[in-house]
Amino acid sequence: MTAVGVVIPFVVSVGVAFAAAGVFLAFMGFDVPRAYGTILLTSFRSANGIVQTLLKFVPLLLLALAFTVPLAAWKFNIGGEGQLIAGAIGAAAVGIALAALPAVALLPALLLAGTLGGALWAAVPAWLLYRFGINEILTTVLMNFVSFGLLDYVTTEVWPDPAAGHPTSVPVGTGGRLPLLVSSPPLHAGLLLALGVAAVTYVYVNRTAAGYELRAVGANPRAALLHGIAVRRLFLLSLVLGGALAGLAGAIEVAGVHHRLIEGLQSNYLLLSILIGLIAKGNVLAVPFVTFAIAVLDVGARAMQRTMLIPVEVVFVVEGLILVFVLLSDVVRRR
Amino acid sequence: METAVTFTRLVMLTLVPYVLASQGTMLAGRAGVFNVAQEGIMLVGASVGFLGAYLSGGSLLQGMLLAMAVGGLFGLALAYFTTTLKMDQFVTGLALFFIGMALSTLLYRLAIGITLTPPLIPTLREIPLPGLSRIPLLGEVLFRQNALVYGAVLLSLALYLFLYSSGSGMALRAVGENPMAADSLGVNVTLTRYMTTIAGAMLMGLAGAYLPMVYTATFTEGMVRGRGWLSIALTFFGGWSPHLIFLGALFFAAVEVLAFRVQVTGVGIPYQLILMLPYLATMLVMMPTFRRLQVPAFLGKNYDRERRTLL
Repeated sequence: MTAVGVVIPFVVSVGVAFAAAGVFLAFMGFDVPRAYGTILLTSFRSANGIVQTLLKFVPLLLLALAFTVPLAAWKFNIGGEGQLIAGAIGAAAVGIALAALPAVALLPALLLAGTLGGALWAAVPAWLLYRFGINEILTTVLMNFVSFGLLDYVTTEVWPDPAAGHPTSVPVGTGGRLPLLVSSPPLHAGLLLALGVAAVTYVYVNRTAAGYELRAVGANPRAALLHGIAVRRLFLLSLVLGGALAGLAGAIEVAGVHHRLIEGLQSNYLLLSILIGLIAKGNVLAVPFVTFAIAVLDVGARAMQRTMLIPVEVVFVVEGLILVFVLLSDVVRRR
Repeated sequence: METAVTFTRLVMLTLVPYVLASQGTMLAGRAGVFNVAQEGIMLVGASVGFLGAYLSGGSLLQGMLLAMAVGGLFGLALAYFTTTLKMDQFVTGLALFFIGMALSTLLYRLAIGITLTPPLIPTLREIPLPGLSRIPLLGEVLFRQNALVYGAVLLSLALYLFLYSSGSGMALRAVGENPMAADSLGVNVTLTRYMTTIAGAMLMGLAGAYLPMVYTATFTEGMVRGRGWLSIALTFFGGWSPHLIFLGALFFAAVEVLAFRVQVTGVGIPYQLILMLPYLATMLVMMPTFRRLQVPAFLGKNYDRERRTLL
């Protein structure tokens, strides 16, 4: 399929979704051109807008990959939120316990701990699938709810910051902070890290034999099994890899943005990342582009809510519609 | 004794959303459609159920009917995308989950806006059954409940009888086991899948509406809190059969009540651990049981009449 053939359904889907929501907004009596101007352009109107967008882009990209890698093996990782939190807790644990270490040691240790934390969190559902055949959609979601309790416990009992009004941990050592690419408004170097990881993920999934096996399992597990691929082990691996990516996202949020644990640091990233993975139809190369577009919409939607009092969920519904239309375009093509 | 009675009473009360959502999941699943949008449909149900009741001046019945209607629309969408267009059931389900989640908050914000004090609706009244409610202990536990508790029990019973003792129930099960065979015997596979998916989603909408009508008297964002996902677990746990789902729901409800009680009274355990309990308990219970559970053979797959083989 040509590049144009891939892009056209996207463009049409986006257009139709926005048109449908526009009719609805106009009907509700809102100023549609101004609302859409805010949604689409806030990210590009100021340095602050660009940085806001990129700061959302980083965790969304990693979480979307955390969904996409298992999806290549047709496993659904709906637990990115819990894995991100576990990663953030792992990173903060190292950053607080070893706060005195210099940056050259602390920062890598912190990022590694976060990655491991996420991988470990995903290893539970992965193992339950491997050993007992339990549906992964279910267990990855349940682990999210477990992580909320853990985060609350850590921020209120283990390393609480009594001065904060909201469950928050004490800060990590200054050596555990990611360096800044731009100092004002602050943009941390996690952006480069995330892009690098995305590139490696692309090479792994699309350009190596191991990645080919992964996709073969996703396309037809029975055929893959008959060709001697250890299907169940690949399921396990794909989920743990996804967890590691989400855990890294959590570590970057701690090291780059908050410098501590804060309850709610997972935001609504999980839902958006699933949306991204599905709109990109599991194509790793498309994920960064879709992620950027969703980050732009999200920043714009929040600005629209502030300035025009239009609920931010309008944009979520638009995004949901885009997804439905993108999925429908496959059906149209099949005919 | 007093605490045991209160506890059992609360379990019966807490059972309802699990039973409704799980029986809905089971119904569609028995015809081969695996709905994974419970959480989203329940949220929409909670939102429009609340709004319907609030805007009609407190008519809970109107709220429930609205929640079921909107839930049914989600079911219709799922049935159309999967059964007619043959799109992947998980992908479509997740898309509907996302839309439901967004729509639930959007509708509430548009209708109510942001208020200092939450708008309230009356909660469901208890209806003591004449005579029966005066039986000692048992009457207190079973026969002094709200209408939907009775509804959940009767629904489970009716579904059991329908699935296992009626011709159309058997045809329904056949569609989920081997649609090709069912088709060749003249069962309308497409119609069966549409009907069960829509009816199932209506039950999920009602399950969502139960939450503001019994627990909170208002709608809050994300108030379903995983009950939709847990009901998928419950459906597996109950082997996709109505009677076992009902029994399993007793367990899920008991864990929820227990977690709440321990949280309120406090027994030296960190309350965060208690909050995790329902989810951890679910995973633990599934470990030894999951492989042995019955699952409809065609669950999650789409049937294409024109293909020569089933898969």
